[in-house]
Amino acid sequence: MIELSEVHVTFNKDTPLETRALRGVDLNVPKGQFLTIIGSNGAGKSTSLNVIAGHTKLEVGHVKIDGQDVTNWPVYKRSKMLSRVFQDPKMGTCEDLSILENFALAHGRTRPRGFRYAVGASMRDEAAEQLKVLGLGLEDRLNDKVGLLSGGQRQAVSLLMAATGDTKVLLLDEHTAALDPKTADFVLELTKKIVDDLKLTAVMVTHSMAQALHTGERTVMFHRGKIVFDAGGAERDNMEVADLLELFKREQGEELTDDALLLG
Amino acid sequence: MSLYEILGTLETGFIFGIVALGAYLTFQILDFPDLTVEGSFPLGAAVAATLIVAAGWNPWLATLAGGVAGFAAGFATAMLNVRFKILHILAGILLSISLYSINLRIMSGPNKPLLMVDTVFTSFEGLGLPGYIINPIFLGIMVLVIKLLLDAFLATGWGISMRAAGANPAMAEANGVNVGNMKLYGVGAANALTAIAGALFAQIFGAADAYMGIGVIIVGLASVIVGMSILPSRTIFLATLACLFGAVLYRLAVALALNADFLGFQASDVQLVTALLVAIALIAQQTGSFRTILRKGGRK
Repeated sequence: MIELSEVHVTFNKDTPLETRALRGVDLNVPKGQFLTIIGSNGAGKSTSLNVIAGHTKLEVGHVKIDGQDVTNWPVYKRSKMLSRVFQDPKMGTCEDLSILENFALAHGRTRPRGFRYAVGASMRDEAAEQLKVLGLGLEDRLNDKVGLLSGGQRQAVSLLMAATGDTKVLLLDEHTAALDPKTADFVLELTKKIVDDLKLTAVMVTHSMAQALHTGERTVMFHRGKIVFDAGGAERDNMEVADLLELFKREQGEELTDDALLLG
Repeated sequence: MSLYEILGTLETGFIFGIVALGAYLTFQILDFPDLTVEGSFPLGAAVAATLIVAAGWNPWLATLAGGVAGFAAGFATAMLNVRFKILHILAGILLSISLYSINLRIMSGPNKPLLMVDTVFTSFEGLGLPGYIINPIFLGIMVLVIKLLLDAFLATGWGISMRAAGANPAMAEANGVNVGNMKLYGVGAANALTAIAGALFAQIFGAADAYMGIGVIIVGLASVIVGMSILPSRTIFLATLACLFGAVLYRLAVALALNADFLGFQASDVQLVTALLVAIALIAQQTGSFRTILRKGGRK
């Protein structure tokens, strides 16, 4: 479903700040797979997600989604096939619009928008039904501006929005990192349920090794712009965080030093 | 102030209400500070006046044509910003400066008098009411209709896309909104409104003039700021209403300042008074005391 081939990305090229964020990444995510990406700061995990979504231009390489070469497609065009939940809850929803209007906006991602009223009765029912699942009482606040919601509520709403329409690919960019532990668990469980129910192809970037190993069905690790580790199936099922660290040490000949990664 | 003066103030207040709606669309909705209006206001006037006088067009059609020209001007500004990455403010300045020359070309001179010709306002002469009464009524209805149309548009699929494009561009893009195109059409539409206001202004005051655009940006902005800091603006309906209210109030404040003999202002001081009023409104908004001042003032 998602194919990255020989992807190179360099930031601030030909300046003293030149950073080679991705150095030849090949990644193939088959249809219906839930992939988690782990790595320390600056490893290239978020950059690779940005490459898939179209936020970051490639220096070399190709991106294919659902068999189509989308390397030169802008973000808004790719969004017909993929949706995204950001790390910052403020990014995933538009605070000046009501909850319902946010749903309408997400609805228009895969369907024509037109000059008709964005918010109809059927949209209202659909949104209320979806929000009811959250158990947060948001179905009674459809006309409230999203800016009035808490971070966790906004993140849950973004997740539901990302799942509306005929979306095929769900990109999750450390989407639980900015939430308190309880809310983070809630959002993560909701994520698993949505991906499962809608049989989505999903890619989740995370800072937490435990979360990476216990979510989805395959885990890749980025280090210095390359994939250093790729595990799925039984091998991964039996793996604990300590094994992952051991593996990293053996492969790279160095210790992982990112505290956030170890503690997460 | 006499009734005649008050009605005259309402008249211009309503015309600038249309400008204020355009300013609301660019400044508030799209977060695009657009200076093109300094050129598109006289552009609308020049196009309409020239078509009426030189080509004998129907004044309604000529006004509409002025709006189309204004759309093109706004579209060009947004194009410089979106496609060629020129700073939005600079793009607007470039357009308004170039429009000054273009307007001189269109009118083949610095102004175009509209004497002894049919204008939009001569259509009402048969109704038996004098112009100073019927004109503000017509303009009031017209600006309300435009306001309601804008409200309705901002609730459509396209409308919420435009609002999201201004408020949270990254989120809008991730939801399939072509943010660049939204700016092109939004800034275009705002300048179409401004140009229509210019066309009406020229017809009511009897001439289009190359200099009539000076200060339009401040008038539009002042209306939005004054209106929205006095009236509640939680919903689009209330916000656009506040803009119209701001436009009328602002004209009233200018008229009062110029009329008050003890202040010693002359008609030529209008731009100075304008700038002072806007500065006061902005400072009051910053300190958050505007509403409290008004409330306390009301109690005394």
